[in-house]
Amino acid sequence: MSITIGIPRSLYYYKFYPLWNTFFEELGAKVVVSDHTSKYILDQGVKSCVDEACLPVKIFHGHVLNLKDRVDCLFIPRFTSISKNEYICPKFGGLPDVVRNTLSGLPAVIDTEVNLRKSGKNALLAAYDAGKHFCADKRHIRKAFDKAVMCYRQYKKQLMDGKLPGDIFDKKAPKSKAHGAKPLNIAVIGHEYNLYDRYVNMNLLQKLKSSVANIITVDMLSEELINEKTRQLPKRMFWNFGRRAVGAALHLLERKDIDGVIFIMSFGCGVDSFVCDLVERRIRRESMIPFLVLTIDEHSGEAGMDTRLEAFIDMIRWRCSCENNLPAYG
Amino acid sequence: MEKQWHYLGVDVGSVSTNLVIIDESDRVIEKLYLRTGGQPISAMREGLKMLSERVGSKVRIKGAGATGSGRQLAGVIIGADVVKNEITAHAVAAQKVVPGVKTILEIGGQDSKIIILRNGIVYDFAMNTVCAAGTGSFLDRQAARLNIPISEFGSYALKATSSVRIAGRCAVFAESDMIHKQQTGHSLEDIINGLCEALVRNYLNNLAKSKDIEEPIVFQGGVAANIGIAAAFERALGKKIIIPGYYDVMGAYGAALIAKEKMASSNSPSAFCGFQAIENEYRAKSIECHDCSNQCEVIEILSNGEPIARWGDRCGKWSELARNSEVG
Repeated sequence: MSITIGIPRSLYYYKFYPLWNTFFEELGAKVVVSDHTSKYILDQGVKSCVDEACLPVKIFHGHVLNLKDRVDCLFIPRFTSISKNEYICPKFGGLPDVVRNTLSGLPAVIDTEVNLRKSGKNALLAAYDAGKHFCADKRHIRKAFDKAVMCYRQYKKQLMDGKLPGDIFDKKAPKSKAHGAKPLNIAVIGHEYNLYDRYVNMNLLQKLKSSVANIITVDMLSEELINEKTRQLPKRMFWNFGRRAVGAALHLLERKDIDGVIFIMSFGCGVDSFVCDLVERRIRRESMIPFLVLTIDEHSGEAGMDTRLEAFIDMIRWRCSCENNLPAYG
Repeated sequence: MEKQWHYLGVDVGSVSTNLVIIDESDRVIEKLYLRTGGQPISAMREGLKMLSERVGSKVRIKGAGATGSGRQLAGVIIGADVVKNEITAHAVAAQKVVPGVKTILEIGGQDSKIIILRNGIVYDFAMNTVCAAGTGSFLDRQAARLNIPISEFGSYALKATSSVRIAGRCAVFAESDMIHKQQTGHSLEDIINGLCEALVRNYLNNLAKSKDIEEPIVFQGGVAANIGIAAAFERALGKKIIIPGYYDVMGAYGAALIAKEKMASSNSPSAFCGFQAIENEYRAKSIECHDCSNQCEVIEILSNGEPIARWGDRCGKWSELARNSEVG
């Protein structure tokens, strides 16, 4: 019987799931993903996790609990860096240890280190390390990895084409509603795990879509576009997310078709607190584009989010109608 | 005499429920400021009843608007033609009262906002983020603790002779700081003035960060009644603050104005349930849905035992149900 490996539907799941899934399936494992984030998963995560952690890490704990009794092993890689000369949040580096020491009764944890700071080739080393639990033949692991990378590139391409992970993974065709209003172009910047987890962000993307907006995410912009802008910064960005977010923002404010920018951040996130402020300053200084920060935490009441979002959309539409001399705020 | 057309605006906030009736020329005919007291439905019923007794025979409501954090509920109960967020409502009202207004400072019961307008449209806004330290309910609590009626709170601040610094970042810190100062012998007036300054400092640091506060500046919301806060704002900004006559019901006034605008471009009759509808029995019931692991807290609004609206579900199953039964 094949080994079942559990992947929590949380954190970098939204970034790397197609890669992981193909890799392990090619090696003959059965991949099980935890359920979509729910109130129960959130509650379990918050209850078990250390209090100082941010909401996404707490939710990750909930997903691990959701999986632990139905898999042979868990895949919790130790991410140090996912791009050359850049780091990511240190909580990713300690994640397997934190989870192991917080939750009891866990199956085996595969905690392969992924460190691409010096070279992207280290990804293959990580693949050999993770793959050895399933297969002794290095050539076979190499083949599985190559195929996984292909799937990952395809996934990135789909994201660039404007698809959202929810549409891709759940195989749902994006619903488009016929509506009289002119669609707005709203850029949404934030960590993948806040942006694409619809429980955490209270269905932000769907809400935007129903207020007739086209959504633009950082994933829809090419690395070249982003890097071209970040090269202009006086100092190199330290974080992978920071470079992409700031580069995207600088690119967006030069485009003429962006009606508004929303930054979604986790309360207490160190990376977000720097990057959001940097993005906000540049956008406010160099453009007239409306900008909104949404801070998310454990709230389940949606009123605060809805009020801000509605007012933001109203403000943009009001501006548009003034430019076209149409009646206001109707 | 032919009755005139009127418009109703309802603002259901965390602390107060406000109702305003305006006429065709945007004048306020009647206004009410009631305490929500944690029971928005009965506050609205009481408000409608009082309005009906005062002017019910003289007015004909052609449109109704709802706003505030309880706007969804208010929209269903009164039968609103338009349900708008409070930022838009406050901006519309302030512009009517002070044409050309550039900055709106609004401090309500649970949240505070700053709205920046340029060339007659909302240009930027911010709401308080994590803490309610700078809002009316905190002042309410402190007034109750010091045994001072909230209506006199501001005048105490004006009698201060020296400035006492109170930590304003957090309501818990502010309260313990106030107690320390009071135990070391500072006068009540100085402490209250210190609190007003702390609240203003917190507001300006938290909300007005990196925003240009240009005149004319309008200060509205329930806390605008507090002359101590208004004075602290003027001192901190070095600019003049305008407090409109209906500062406490500006949200409701805005909702009425938006309803009027909406009805002008609509041919359908108002959805307003009429003053008689207060006779109906309204009840809100909460159900925890166990159909999936989200366990949504669904709210059901019943009128005379019949469900008229449901919300709170993430999947839309319950809210759709109510909408369908409404039609069928």
